[in-house]
Amino acid sequence: MEVTLVLAAGGVAAGLFGALLGLGGGILIVPLLTLGFGLPVREAVGVSLVCVIVTSGAAAGVYLQRHVANLRLGMVLELFSAIGALAGGFAAFLLPEPALAGLFALLLVYTAASMLRHGRRDVGEAPLADGALIPDPAMPVPPPAWQGTLSGPGYRVQRLGAGMAGSVGAGALSALLGVGGGIVKVPVMHLAMGVPLRVATATSNLMMGVTASASAIIYLFRGGIDPLVAGPTALGVFLGASIGSRTAGRVDARILRALFVLVLLYTAVEMARRALGLA
Amino acid sequence: MGGQRSDRVDLERGLGRLLTTGTYLTVVLVGLGVAGMVLGGRSPLEPGVPPFDPARLPADLAAGRAEGYLWLGIVVAISTPAARVAAALLGYAGRGERTMVAVSAAVLAVIALGVLLALGTG
Repeated sequence: MEVTLVLAAGGVAAGLFGALLGLGGGILIVPLLTLGFGLPVREAVGVSLVCVIVTSGAAAGVYLQRHVANLRLGMVLELFSAIGALAGGFAAFLLPEPALAGLFALLLVYTAASMLRHGRRDVGEAPLADGALIPDPAMPVPPPAWQGTLSGPGYRVQRLGAGMAGSVGAGALSALLGVGGGIVKVPVMHLAMGVPLRVATATSNLMMGVTASASAIIYLFRGGIDPLVAGPTALGVFLGASIGSRTAGRVDARILRALFVLVLLYTAVEMARRALGLA
Repeated sequence: MGGQRSDRVDLERGLGRLLTTGTYLTVVLVGLGVAGMVLGGRSPLEPGVPPFDPARLPADLAAGRAEGYLWLGIVVAISTPAARVAAALLGYAGRGERTMVAVSAAVLAVIALGVLLALGTG
Protein backbone atom coordinates (compact mmCIF):
# COMPACT_ATOMS: atom_id res chain seq x y z
CA MET A 1 0.00 0.00 0.00
CA GLU A 2 2.86 2.38 0.89
CA VAL A 3 4.48 1.96 -2.52
CA THR A 4 1.12 2.58 -4.25
CA LEU A 5 0.67 5.82 -2.32
CA VAL A 6 4.26 6.95 -2.89
CA LEU A 7 3.87 6.25 -6.61
CA ALA A 8 0.58 8.17 -6.74
CA ALA A 9 2.16 11.04 -4.76
CA GLY A 10 5.06 11.12 -7.23
CA GLY A 11 2.52 11.27 -10.04
CA VAL A 12 0.71 14.15 -8.32
CA ALA A 13 4.00 16.05 -8.02
CA ALA A 14 4.89 15.40 -11.68
CA GLY A 15 1.43 16.49 -12.87
CA LEU A 16 1.37 19.53 -10.58
CA PHE A 17 4.82 20.85 -11.55
CA GLY A 18 4.18 20.03 -15.19
CA ALA A 19 0.96 22.04 -15.22
CA LEU A 20 2.43 24.96 -13.23
CA LEU A 21 5.38 25.25 -15.61
CA GLY A 22 3.54 24.56 -18.85
CA LEU A 23 5.30 21.23 -19.40
CA GLY A 24 3.72 17.82 -19.81
CA GLY A 25 4.23 15.40 -16.93
CA GLY A 26 6.22 12.97 -19.09
CA ILE A 27 9.51 14.75 -18.64
CA LEU A 28 9.27 13.99 -14.91
CA ILE A 29 7.52 10.62 -14.87
CA VAL A 30 10.24 8.66 -16.68
CA PRO A 31 13.03 9.83 -14.31
CA LEU A 32 10.70 9.30 -11.33
CA LEU A 33 10.03 5.69 -12.29
CA THR A 34 13.56 4.81 -13.40
CA LEU A 35 15.62 6.64 -10.77
CA GLY A 36 13.05 6.49 -7.95
CA PHE A 37 11.55 3.05 -8.39
CA GLY A 38 14.20 1.22 -10.41
CA LEU A 39 12.01 0.49 -13.44
CA PRO A 40 13.68 -0.13 -16.81
CA VAL A 41 13.56 3.01 -19.01
CA ARG A 42 11.38 1.30 -21.64
CA GLU A 43 8.76 0.27 -19.06
CA ALA A 44 8.78 3.79 -17.60
CA VAL A 45 8.23 5.22 -21.10
CA GLY A 46 5.21 2.92 -21.60
CA VAL A 47 3.66 4.09 -18.32
CA SER A 48 4.46 7.71 -19.14
CA LEU A 49 2.69 7.45 -22.51
CA VAL A 50 -0.50 6.36 -20.73
CA CYS A 51 -0.19 9.37 -18.41
CA VAL A 52 0.37 11.70 -21.39
CA ILE A 53 -2.84 10.42 -23.05
CA VAL A 54 -4.91 10.89 -19.88
CA THR A 55 -3.70 14.41 -19.10
CA SER A 56 -3.75 15.63 -22.69
CA GLY A 57 -7.24 14.15 -23.21
CA ALA A 58 -8.68 16.17 -20.34
CA ALA A 59 -7.03 19.41 -21.51
CA ALA A 60 -7.75 18.87 -25.23
CA GLY A 61 -11.44 18.22 -24.47
CA VAL A 62 -11.69 21.63 -22.84
CA TYR A 63 -9.66 23.36 -25.57
CA LEU A 64 -11.95 21.91 -28.27
CA GLN A 65 -15.14 22.88 -26.47
CA ARG A 66 -13.78 26.42 -26.07
CA HIS A 67 -12.64 26.45 -29.75
CA VAL A 68 -9.05 27.34 -28.86
CA ALA A 69 -7.43 24.36 -30.63
CA ASN A 70 -7.25 24.32 -34.43
CA LEU A 71 -8.87 20.94 -35.15
CA ARG A 72 -8.19 20.83 -38.89
CA LEU A 73 -4.53 21.76 -38.56
CA GLY A 74 -4.14 19.38 -35.63
CA MET A 75 -5.59 16.49 -37.63
CA VAL A 76 -3.31 17.13 -40.61
CA LEU A 77 -0.21 17.35 -38.41
CA GLU A 78 -1.15 14.39 -36.20
CA LEU A 79 -1.09 12.19 -39.28
CA PHE A 80 2.65 12.90 -39.43
CA SER A 81 3.24 12.75 -35.68
CA ALA A 82 1.49 9.35 -35.62
CA ILE A 83 3.82 8.09 -38.40
CA GLY A 84 6.81 9.33 -36.35
CA ALA A 85 5.37 7.70 -33.24
CA LEU A 86 4.97 4.38 -35.02
CA ALA A 87 8.59 4.43 -36.15
CA GLY A 88 9.79 5.63 -32.74
CA GLY A 89 7.74 2.99 -30.91
CA PHE A 90 9.40 0.16 -32.80
CA ALA A 91 12.83 1.81 -32.54
CA ALA A 92 12.41 1.97 -28.75
CA PHE A 93 12.34 -1.85 -28.64
CA LEU A 94 15.49 -2.07 -30.75
CA LEU A 95 17.60 0.47 -28.86
CA PRO A 96 19.51 -0.67 -25.76
CA GLU A 97 18.44 0.74 -22.37
CA PRO A 98 21.59 2.89 -21.92
CA ALA A 99 20.90 4.58 -25.27
CA LEU A 100 17.35 5.47 -24.17
CA ALA A 101 18.67 6.80 -20.84
CA GLY A 102 21.29 8.84 -22.70
CA LEU A 103 18.69 10.31 -25.06
CA PHE A 104 16.50 11.20 -22.11
CA ALA A 105 19.44 12.95 -20.41
CA LEU A 106 19.91 15.05 -23.56
CA LEU A 107 16.19 15.90 -23.63
CA LEU A 108 16.35 17.03 -19.99
CA VAL A 109 19.33 19.30 -20.71
CA TYR A 110 17.56 20.75 -23.78
CA THR A 111 14.38 21.37 -21.75
CA ALA A 112 16.37 23.06 -18.95
CA ALA A 113 18.17 25.24 -21.51
CA SER A 114 14.84 26.17 -23.17
CA MET A 115 13.39 27.17 -19.81
CA LEU A 116 16.41 29.30 -18.98
CA ARG A 117 16.46 30.95 -22.41
CA HIS A 118 12.84 31.75 -22.98
CA GLY A 119 11.06 31.14 -19.71
CA ARG A 120 7.66 29.63 -19.46
CA ARG A 121 6.25 30.84 -22.77
CA ASP A 122 8.61 28.78 -24.89
CA VAL A 123 7.72 25.41 -23.42
CA GLY A 124 3.99 25.59 -23.36
CA GLU A 125 1.26 27.99 -22.57
CA ALA A 126 1.37 31.73 -23.10
CA PRO A 127 -1.09 34.43 -23.78
CA LEU A 128 -0.69 35.74 -27.30
CA ALA A 129 -3.71 37.62 -28.45
CA ASP A 130 -6.05 35.51 -30.51
CA GLY A 131 -6.33 36.98 -33.92
CA ALA A 132 -2.77 38.27 -34.11
CA LEU A 133 -1.64 38.07 -37.71
CA ILE A 134 1.94 36.85 -37.90
CA PRO A 135 3.75 38.66 -40.71
CA ASP A 136 5.87 36.48 -42.94
CA PRO A 137 8.09 38.53 -45.25
CA ALA A 138 9.99 35.41 -46.31
CA MET A 139 6.97 33.96 -48.02
CA PRO A 140 5.68 36.21 -50.81
CA VAL A 141 3.81 33.41 -52.62
CA PRO A 142 0.35 32.72 -51.20
CA PRO A 143 -0.13 29.17 -49.91
CA PRO A 144 -2.28 26.66 -51.81
CA ALA A 145 -6.05 27.10 -51.41
CA TRP A 146 -6.61 24.00 -49.26
CA GLN A 147 -3.85 25.12 -46.90
CA GLY A 148 -5.93 28.25 -46.38
CA THR A 149 -8.69 26.11 -44.89
CA LEU A 150 -6.28 25.17 -42.08
CA SER A 151 -5.90 28.77 -41.00
CA GLY A 152 -7.83 30.34 -38.16
CA PRO A 153 -9.35 33.71 -37.34
CA GLY A 154 -6.70 36.36 -37.90
CA TYR A 155 -3.79 34.11 -38.80
CA ARG A 156 -2.70 32.23 -41.88
CA VAL A 157 -0.96 28.87 -41.64
CA GLN A 158 2.37 28.91 -43.47
CA ARG A 159 5.19 26.46 -44.19
CA LEU A 160 3.09 23.37 -43.78
CA GLY A 161 6.07 21.25 -44.86
CA ALA A 162 8.04 22.41 -41.83
CA GLY A 163 5.09 21.53 -39.61
CA MET A 164 4.84 18.06 -41.12
CA ALA A 165 8.57 17.40 -40.67
CA GLY A 166 8.50 18.76 -37.11
CA SER A 167 5.50 16.56 -36.33
CA VAL A 168 7.29 13.40 -37.50
CA GLY A 169 10.20 14.33 -35.21
CA ALA A 170 7.90 15.13 -32.29
CA GLY A 171 6.09 11.80 -32.75
CA ALA A 172 9.34 9.83 -32.75
CA LEU A 173 10.57 11.72 -29.66
CA SER A 174 7.29 11.05 -27.88
CA ALA A 175 7.41 7.33 -28.62
CA LEU A 176 11.08 6.92 -27.71
CA LEU A 177 11.04 8.91 -24.48
CA GLY A 178 7.41 8.95 -23.28
CA VAL A 179 6.87 12.70 -23.54
CA GLY A 180 4.09 14.65 -25.23
CA GLY A 181 6.40 16.27 -27.78
CA GLY A 182 5.02 19.77 -27.19
CA ILE A 183 8.57 21.04 -26.77
CA VAL A 184 9.01 20.45 -30.52
CA LYS A 185 5.48 21.02 -31.85
CA VAL A 186 4.69 24.31 -30.12
CA PRO A 187 7.80 26.19 -31.37
CA VAL A 188 7.40 24.74 -34.89
CA MET A 189 3.73 25.77 -35.12
CA HIS A 190 4.31 29.16 -33.57
CA LEU A 191 7.65 30.24 -35.04
CA ALA A 192 7.67 28.45 -38.41
CA MET A 193 3.96 28.21 -39.24
CA GLY A 194 2.70 31.51 -37.85
CA VAL A 195 0.14 30.01 -35.47
CA PRO A 196 -0.57 32.15 -32.36
CA LEU A 197 1.10 30.62 -29.30
CA ARG A 198 -2.12 29.95 -27.40
CA VAL A 199 -3.61 28.12 -30.41
CA ALA A 200 -0.33 26.25 -30.99
CA THR A 201 -0.28 25.05 -27.38
CA ALA A 202 -3.91 23.89 -27.52
CA THR A 203 -3.44 22.22 -30.91
CA SER A 204 -0.27 20.47 -29.73
CA ASN A 205 -2.24 19.17 -26.74
CA LEU A 206 -4.94 17.85 -29.06
CA MET A 207 -2.33 16.04 -31.17
CA MET A 208 -0.66 14.41 -28.15
CA GLY A 209 -3.50 11.92 -27.67
CA VAL A 210 -3.26 10.36 -31.15
CA THR A 211 0.55 10.58 -31.15
CA ALA A 212 0.96 8.90 -27.77
CA SER A 213 -1.70 6.27 -28.44
CA ALA A 214 -0.07 5.29 -31.78
CA SER A 215 3.05 4.27 -29.85
CA ALA A 216 1.32 3.16 -26.63
CA ILE A 217 -0.38 0.42 -28.67
CA ILE A 218 3.07 -0.99 -29.49
CA TYR A 219 4.13 -0.85 -25.83
CA LEU A 220 0.81 -2.44 -24.79
CA PHE A 221 1.07 -5.46 -27.08
CA ARG A 222 4.81 -5.92 -26.54
CA GLY A 223 4.56 -6.06 -22.74
CA GLY A 224 5.95 -2.55 -22.22
CA ILE A 225 3.20 -1.35 -19.87
CA ASP A 226 2.85 -2.58 -16.27
CA PRO A 227 -0.77 -1.92 -15.20
CA LEU A 228 0.07 -1.96 -11.48
CA VAL A 229 2.57 0.89 -12.00
CA ALA A 230 0.55 2.73 -14.65
CA GLY A 231 -2.65 2.86 -12.54
CA PRO A 232 -1.45 4.79 -9.45
CA THR A 233 0.90 6.96 -11.54
CA ALA A 234 -1.79 7.97 -14.07
CA LEU A 235 -4.27 8.75 -11.29
CA GLY A 236 -1.66 10.87 -9.49
CA VAL A 237 -0.65 12.75 -12.64
CA PHE A 238 -4.30 13.44 -13.52
CA LEU A 239 -4.97 14.78 -10.03
CA GLY A 240 -1.76 16.86 -9.97
CA ALA A 241 -2.39 18.32 -13.43
CA SER A 242 -5.98 19.21 -12.46
CA ILE A 243 -4.78 21.05 -9.33
CA GLY A 244 -1.92 22.69 -11.24
CA SER A 245 -4.10 24.02 -14.05
CA ARG A 246 -6.43 25.64 -11.48
CA THR A 247 -3.63 27.25 -9.45
CA ALA A 248 -1.20 28.15 -12.24
CA GLY A 249 -2.27 31.82 -12.31
CA ARG A 250 -1.76 32.26 -8.57
CA VAL A 251 1.78 30.93 -8.30
CA ASP A 252 4.93 32.96 -9.02
CA ALA A 253 6.49 30.69 -11.60
CA ARG A 254 9.90 32.40 -11.64
CA ILE A 255 11.26 30.82 -8.44
CA LEU A 256 9.54 27.56 -9.29
CA ARG A 257 11.14 27.59 -12.73
CA ALA A 258 14.63 28.23 -11.34
CA LEU A 259 14.18 25.37 -8.90
CA PHE A 260 12.84 23.17 -11.65
CA VAL A 261 15.83 23.85 -13.91
CA LEU A 262 18.09 22.60 -11.10
CA VAL A 263 15.93 19.47 -10.72
CA LEU A 264 16.08 18.86 -14.49
CA LEU A 265 19.86 19.24 -14.56
CA TYR A 266 20.34 16.96 -11.53
CA THR A 267 18.03 14.39 -13.15
CA ALA A 268 19.95 14.70 -16.44
CA VAL A 269 23.20 13.87 -14.61
CA GLU A 270 21.59 10.84 -12.95
CA MET A 271 20.16 9.62 -16.28
CA ALA A 272 23.55 10.11 -17.93
CA ARG A 273 25.17 8.08 -15.12
CA ARG A 274 22.63 5.36 -15.78
CA ALA A 275 23.38 5.50 -19.51
CA LEU A 276 27.10 5.08 -18.77
CA GLY A 277 26.45 2.22 -16.36
CA LEU A 278 27.60 4.23 -13.33
CA ALA A 279 24.26 4.15 -11.48
CA MET B 1 -21.61 30.54 -44.18
CA GLY B 2 -23.18 30.91 -40.76
CA GLY B 3 -24.44 27.34 -41.03
CA GLN B 4 -20.92 26.14 -41.80
CA ARG B 5 -19.54 27.90 -38.74
CA SER B 6 -22.30 26.48 -36.59
CA ASP B 7 -21.50 22.97 -37.94
CA ARG B 8 -17.83 23.46 -37.09
CA VAL B 9 -18.66 24.65 -33.58
CA ASP B 10 -21.00 21.69 -33.04
CA LEU B 11 -18.39 19.22 -34.30
CA GLU B 12 -15.65 20.62 -32.07
CA ARG B 13 -17.96 20.70 -29.08
CA GLY B 14 -18.99 17.09 -29.68
CA LEU B 15 -15.40 15.93 -30.09
CA GLY B 16 -14.41 17.82 -26.94
CA ARG B 17 -17.16 16.07 -24.99
CA LEU B 18 -16.03 12.72 -26.36
CA LEU B 19 -12.45 13.31 -25.17
CA THR B 20 -13.61 14.50 -21.75
CA THR B 21 -15.95 11.52 -21.32
CA GLY B 22 -13.22 9.06 -22.38
CA THR B 23 -10.77 10.63 -19.94
CA TYR B 24 -13.18 10.50 -17.00
CA LEU B 25 -14.17 6.92 -17.84
CA THR B 26 -10.44 6.05 -17.81
CA VAL B 27 -9.97 7.73 -14.44
CA VAL B 28 -12.96 5.86 -12.95
CA LEU B 29 -11.78 2.46 -14.25
CA VAL B 30 -8.16 3.03 -13.21
CA GLY B 31 -9.42 4.33 -9.84
CA LEU B 32 -11.36 1.08 -9.30
CA GLY B 33 -8.25 -0.88 -10.21
CA VAL B 34 -6.06 1.09 -7.79
CA ALA B 35 -8.68 0.67 -5.05
CA GLY B 36 -8.57 -3.07 -5.73
CA MET B 37 -4.77 -3.01 -5.47
CA VAL B 38 -4.87 -1.20 -2.12
CA LEU B 39 -7.61 -3.42 -0.68
CA GLY B 40 -5.84 -6.54 -1.90
CA GLY B 41 -2.50 -5.41 -0.44
CA ARG B 42 -0.81 -5.55 -3.85
CA SER B 43 2.42 -3.71 -4.55
CA PRO B 44 2.97 -1.91 -7.88
CA LEU B 45 6.46 -3.38 -7.93
CA GLU B 46 5.44 -7.03 -7.54
CA PRO B 47 7.01 -9.24 -10.19
CA GLY B 48 5.23 -11.53 -12.61
CA VAL B 49 2.30 -9.37 -13.69
CA PRO B 50 1.08 -10.99 -16.93
CA PRO B 51 1.18 -8.85 -20.08
CA PHE B 52 -1.99 -7.54 -21.69
CA ASP B 53 -4.21 -10.33 -22.99
CA PRO B 54 -7.61 -9.22 -24.34
CA ALA B 55 -8.97 -12.77 -23.97
CA ARG B 56 -8.41 -12.67 -20.18
CA LEU B 57 -10.08 -9.30 -19.69
CA PRO B 58 -13.72 -10.48 -19.26
CA ALA B 59 -12.71 -13.12 -16.70
CA ASP B 60 -10.56 -10.64 -14.74
CA LEU B 61 -13.42 -8.12 -14.70
CA ALA B 62 -15.97 -10.72 -13.67
CA ALA B 63 -13.72 -11.86 -10.82
CA GLY B 64 -13.20 -8.22 -9.74
CA ARG B 65 -9.41 -8.49 -10.15
CA ALA B 66 -7.51 -5.19 -10.06
CA GLU B 67 -5.65 -5.99 -13.30
CA GLY B 68 -8.97 -6.24 -15.16
CA TYR B 69 -10.03 -2.70 -14.29
CA LEU B 70 -6.53 -1.31 -14.81
CA TRP B 71 -6.16 -2.91 -18.26
CA LEU B 72 -9.65 -1.80 -19.28
CA GLY B 73 -8.88 1.75 -18.14
CA ILE B 74 -5.63 1.74 -20.12
CA VAL B 75 -7.41 0.40 -23.22
CA VAL B 76 -10.11 3.08 -22.93
CA ALA B 77 -7.39 5.74 -22.57
CA ILE B 78 -5.51 4.51 -25.64
CA SER B 79 -8.72 4.13 -27.68
CA THR B 80 -10.20 7.55 -26.87
CA PRO B 81 -8.03 9.60 -29.28
CA ALA B 82 -8.78 7.12 -32.09
CA ALA B 83 -12.49 7.39 -31.28
CA ARG B 84 -12.14 11.17 -31.58
CA VAL B 85 -10.59 10.78 -35.05
CA ALA B 86 -13.35 8.34 -36.11
CA ALA B 87 -16.04 10.75 -34.90
CA ALA B 88 -14.33 13.61 -36.77
CA LEU B 89 -14.31 11.48 -39.92
CA LEU B 90 -18.07 10.98 -39.63
CA GLY B 91 -18.59 14.68 -38.95
CA TYR B 92 -16.53 15.75 -41.96
CA ALA B 93 -18.21 13.12 -44.15
CA GLY B 94 -21.62 14.54 -43.18
CA ARG B 95 -20.44 17.98 -44.31
CA GLY B 96 -18.92 16.68 -47.54
CA GLU B 97 -15.37 17.76 -46.66
CA ARG B 98 -13.52 15.17 -48.68
CA THR B 99 -9.97 16.35 -47.87
CA MET B 100 -10.57 16.15 -44.12
CA VAL B 101 -12.31 12.78 -44.51
CA ALA B 102 -9.18 11.52 -46.28
CA VAL B 103 -6.93 12.99 -43.57
CA SER B 104 -9.03 11.38 -40.80
CA ALA B 105 -9.03 8.03 -42.61
CA ALA B 106 -5.26 8.21 -43.06
CA VAL B 107 -4.76 8.86 -39.31
CA LEU B 108 -6.96 5.87 -38.49
CA ALA B 109 -5.04 3.77 -41.02
CA VAL B 110 -1.72 4.63 -39.32
CA ILE B 111 -3.17 3.64 -35.92
CA ALA B 112 -4.55 0.40 -37.39
CA LEU B 113 -1.17 -0.33 -38.96
CA GLY B 114 0.41 0.11 -35.52
CA VAL B 115 -2.02 -2.42 -34.02
CA LEU B 116 -1.39 -4.94 -36.81
CA LEU B 117 2.40 -4.56 -36.63
CA ALA B 118 2.39 -4.75 -32.82
CA LEU B 119 0.25 -7.90 -32.91
CA GLY B 120 2.39 -9.40 -35.64
CA THR B 121 5.71 -8.73 -33.92
CA GLY B 122 4.67 -8.82 -30.25
